[in-house]
Amino acid sequence: MDNASYTTLTRQSGLQREMQTVANNLANLATTGFRKEGVIFAEHVKALGRDDPSLSMATASVANTDLRQGSLSQTNGTFDFAIEGEGFFMVETADGNRLTRAGAFTPNGEGDLVTHDGNRLLDAGGAPIFVPAGVADLQVSADGTLSADGQPLSQIGLFQPENPFDLRRENGVRFEFTGEVTPVENPTILQGFVEDSNVNPVGEVARMIEVQRAYEQGQGFLEKEDERIRAVIRALG
Amino acid sequence: MRALQIAATGMAAQQMRVETISNNLANMNTTGYNARRAEFADLHYQQQTRAGTINAADGTIVPTGVQLGLGVRPSSVTVELSQGSLGATGGDLDLAIEGLGYIEVTLPSGQSAFTRDGGLKRSADGLIVTSDGYPVVPEITIPSDARSISINAEGETYAYFNDRVEPELLGQLSIAGFSNSKGLEAIGSNLFLESAASGAPTVSTPGENGLGTLRQGYLENSSVDAVREITELIEAQRGYELNAKVLTAADQMLGATTQIR
Repeated sequence: MDNASYTTLTRQSGLQREMQTVANNLANLATTGFRKEGVIFAEHVKALGRDDPSLSMATASVANTDLRQGSLSQTNGTFDFAIEGEGFFMVETADGNRLTRAGAFTPNGEGDLVTHDGNRLLDAGGAPIFVPAGVADLQVSADGTLSADGQPLSQIGLFQPENPFDLRRENGVRFEFTGEVTPVENPTILQGFVEDSNVNPVGEVARMIEVQRAYEQGQGFLEKEDERIRAVIRALG
Repeated sequence: MRALQIAATGMAAQQMRVETISNNLANMNTTGYNARRAEFADLHYQQQTRAGTINAADGTIVPTGVQLGLGVRPSSVTVELSQGSLGATGGDLDLAIEGLGYIEVTLPSGQSAFTRDGGLKRSADGLIVTSDGYPVVPEITIPSDARSISINAEGETYAYFNDRVEPELLGQLSIAGFSNSKGLEAIGSNLFLESAASGAPTVSTPGENGLGTLRQGYLENSSVDAVREITELIEAQRGYELNAKVLTAADQMLGATTQIR
């Protein structure tokens, strides 16, 4: 194959990856705390022979996570918390601490607040949050202070990575972080709400159509290129 | 093409949401029923280019890499523990729990089960039982000549007789609470079993330990909010359609690929 076909192929495979992220975003339309992901195409320049010009190709080399706030849904659940503004909850997993915006928690059999996967929610000091049994009235104030029957228990920790690019996506709506995390200065937590997925369906469908058409266009180009080469071979006999 | 499988996981998730909603709507008039809500989490991420790897061409560090998500999975179907409205029935043995506790009953197997359905009845031998005939714990027997029964907020059960002015204390009902009521295992017929996730029951007098009080003559209605369920149903249906659209688009892309030449 010639260079033109190779260049088109890099774009086609990048478009397939982009289609995959669109599919994943739409699949997670109803996932609490889900952050939409996208693909960024970059030029990939390949040096050819000494006297030839270099070849420019396209690679989907970067995935970005859209950290914009999702809409809030009222659930009235005592242990449903939504973060308004910046920050993440810190949860403890077998592989280390993780960040998440999915704020639907529940006490486990021992009374620790856990996620649906059973990972414990940590307070501002990094200790698990314990809710004693038999508490009639559990309130969370906007700054994350948890009080049981009027007595303060602990404070839910909200953390922010110093560099948002240090986040790596993980299953269970969690993010692994590599750099430093700092406590959020003025946290706002709403009790009885959860944050929805921040996927915008209209935007995703528009992107899906765009990707599909670009892909078909690429295929059309490949076909024409194939015909051209065939014609050359025929002419040369 | 992965997009096909991813869209399929999305469709399966929305379908599960519709199933949960239809069960809620089916139980709109079930005494003491609490609405369930399907919750989802994203699936594994395929790390195509790891974040933090060194770019071979010029030695810089890739800041984010390429992580491609592989879809969605159901993470739980949680019970929304909100109190349903109370409906007055006037029944002597109709009890509503105001609070988060449960009434303990004994199954024929001897095992304990827990219920919020306080529509209690009287068995042939005078025992207080549930609609299905399971005796309430602690067992209370109502004498056959009792004119009426009065149960106060703390569960003290009195019987009144035609031939006496003074009521007779028959016993005291208790209430059970769990550190995680959402972790109870539902077995149908408004009954729940203790599980490893719920923790052991704490049994106490109604009104103590924040477990709620009893209210005679009332039944707790289902906490299903029809308007909210319908809104969710529309959302789930549209979500399903969007994922189906992805399936079609991905299929057409695949079709275009196979038609080259």
